[in-house]
Amino acid sequence: MLELDNVSVTFNAGTNNEVRALKEVSLSVEEGDFVTVIGSNGAGKSTLFGVIAGAATAASGQIHLDGHNMTHWPEYKRSQVIGRVFQDPRLGTCPGLTIRENLSLAAIHGRRLGLRRDVKQDQEQWFRDELARQQLGLEERLDTDVALLSGGQRQSITLIMATLVKPKLLLLDEHTAALDPNAAEQIITLTRDLADRHEMSTVMITHSMQQACDLGSRVIMMHQGEIVFDISGRERYQLTPSDLIDRFHSLGDAELSDAQILGQTGSFSQKDLTALASASSRNR
Amino acid sequence: MSSQASTASQGSDSLASRHSFLLRGLLLIIVVGVVMSLGNVNIGAVGQGLGYALAGVCVFITFRILGFVDLTVDGAFPIGGAVCAILIVNGSSPEVALLVAFIFGALTGLATALVDILFKIEGLLASIIVITGAYTVTLRIMGGRSNIPLLGQETLISRHSRPFRAWLVEQFGDGLKRQSTNLLEIILFGGVVIVVLVILYWFMRSEFGLAVRATGKNAQMVRATGINHYVMIALGLMVANGLAGLSGSLVVQQFGFADVSLGFGLIVRGLAAVIIGEVLLRPKSTGQRLIAAVAGMLVFDISRAWIFSALDLPTTDIQLVSALVVLAALGTPRLYERYKAFRQRFANTR
Repeated sequence: MLELDNVSVTFNAGTNNEVRALKEVSLSVEEGDFVTVIGSNGAGKSTLFGVIAGAATAASGQIHLDGHNMTHWPEYKRSQVIGRVFQDPRLGTCPGLTIRENLSLAAIHGRRLGLRRDVKQDQEQWFRDELARQQLGLEERLDTDVALLSGGQRQSITLIMATLVKPKLLLLDEHTAALDPNAAEQIITLTRDLADRHEMSTVMITHSMQQACDLGSRVIMMHQGEIVFDISGRERYQLTPSDLIDRFHSLGDAELSDAQILGQTGSFSQKDLTALASASSRNR
Repeated sequence: MSSQASTASQGSDSLASRHSFLLRGLLLIIVVGVVMSLGNVNIGAVGQGLGYALAGVCVFITFRILGFVDLTVDGAFPIGGAVCAILIVNGSSPEVALLVAFIFGALTGLATALVDILFKIEGLLASIIVITGAYTVTLRIMGGRSNIPLLGQETLISRHSRPFRAWLVEQFGDGLKRQSTNLLEIILFGGVVIVVLVILYWFMRSEFGLAVRATGKNAQMVRATGINHYVMIALGLMVANGLAGLSGSLVVQQFGFADVSLGFGLIVRGLAAVIIGEVLLRPKSTGQRLIAAVAGMLVFDISRAWIFSALDLPTTDIQLVSALVVLAALGTPRLYERYKAFRQRFANTR
């Protein structure tokens, strides 16, 4: 399915600020796999997503999806086969357009645009069914401007939009991190439901050890631009959040793992985590 | 149960918004009519407003739909006018001239889009570069002359003016004879504007239009849907500036000459039209917003003509009066907000 072969990403190459965000990472995701990616801030998780989705360019290495070499595909072209949900709920949907219009746009996914009508009558039932599954009552509000919805509601619409036309790969970038615990819980349930129903390959970044252990069949831990642990199979099913924390400690990065321990109780936003990390370093 | 209730209220909401838009439109027509008849405003202002209306729609598309700060209208408008004049002088029909003017305007828009996309130069700067170059292109199109008169040539208006005047005199007597050209302009330009708005609405409600509208609001999301958002920006700019070129050719046929400086300050005028339309009509849907931009341009031209006739100013003062009308249009809503905030504070302290 997805194959990363010695992929490196370097920011500000050739300057004093050169950052090697990914160091020759190789990763192989099988059809139907659900992989969770954890790691501290700056570990390279988001860069990994960026290089898969085409937002960041690989300095070296190859990326294949379903046998196609897509190392040099532009972002929009990769998006035709990759569904994405972002951390910021505002990024995934389009304010000023209605729920119906947003879903209509997602339904075009991977097809050529035409001069057909933007919203189609025969798609209404499809949209309603997809929305009804979430039990948020949004199926009755198809003509509501997306800008009027809460972050959780927008994120759940983004999830539907990303999977409306089944993608080959679904990338979830800490998609619950900016939500309150209740909404986050709902989104996680929805994610599990979608992944089970469509049986699509999914890669999810998370800050929550609990989520990493609850969801998926494989856990990857990243540290300083490299994959340090790749746990799957039998070992993965016996994995608990405290195991993960132990492994974090073994990396010798105590300061950041403190923040990660707190992360297990619920989902924290990136900002919270940074604040906690700096607070814990001050106390020491 | 509760969800059913919310649907019902939303249904009536959209109905109410449509009604309130119509109501505001009617009220505006009545007020404008009263001002025009009391202030002795020549109906020529309406014809002129209709000539410029599509330039207002251009600014609406770039600023409001694409969210792209684009001044290209200042360059696309005179290019459209120049192309139209040169074609008419060389004996082509005015309808063909309109179409070719649209295409040349669209190419100007494409130039801005390419500067923005290829060189990653921000829209504002990209369009300034393009309008600087467009000045020369306009002069070249006009064969090095800065002005081309259309005297004695067949234009959209001159073609129909004689039979229309005859028909008018026959129907209503000599009373309307002096206004016959103005009335003809209103009918012809009104027709063109309506046809263009219908086509534009159909485009905006197509899949392409949806992608263009979404690009202006959230380009990241459009990319994530597998659509090349650069193409959508280029498409939007081409349609918008094509309309500016079309507007330029209408105005040239109205004035009876093409001039290289015809586009001067047009962006301000277009912005004023968009804002006047939004303030007065409070449009909600895409169709309403397109109509509001046209109405805004009409109100701009009529109120400017009214100021001229009320204060008895020489025509050389036109730019200052334009600037003041724009200032009033932009400033009034803000002043009103401040007034409301002031009253709130005053009420709180008492």
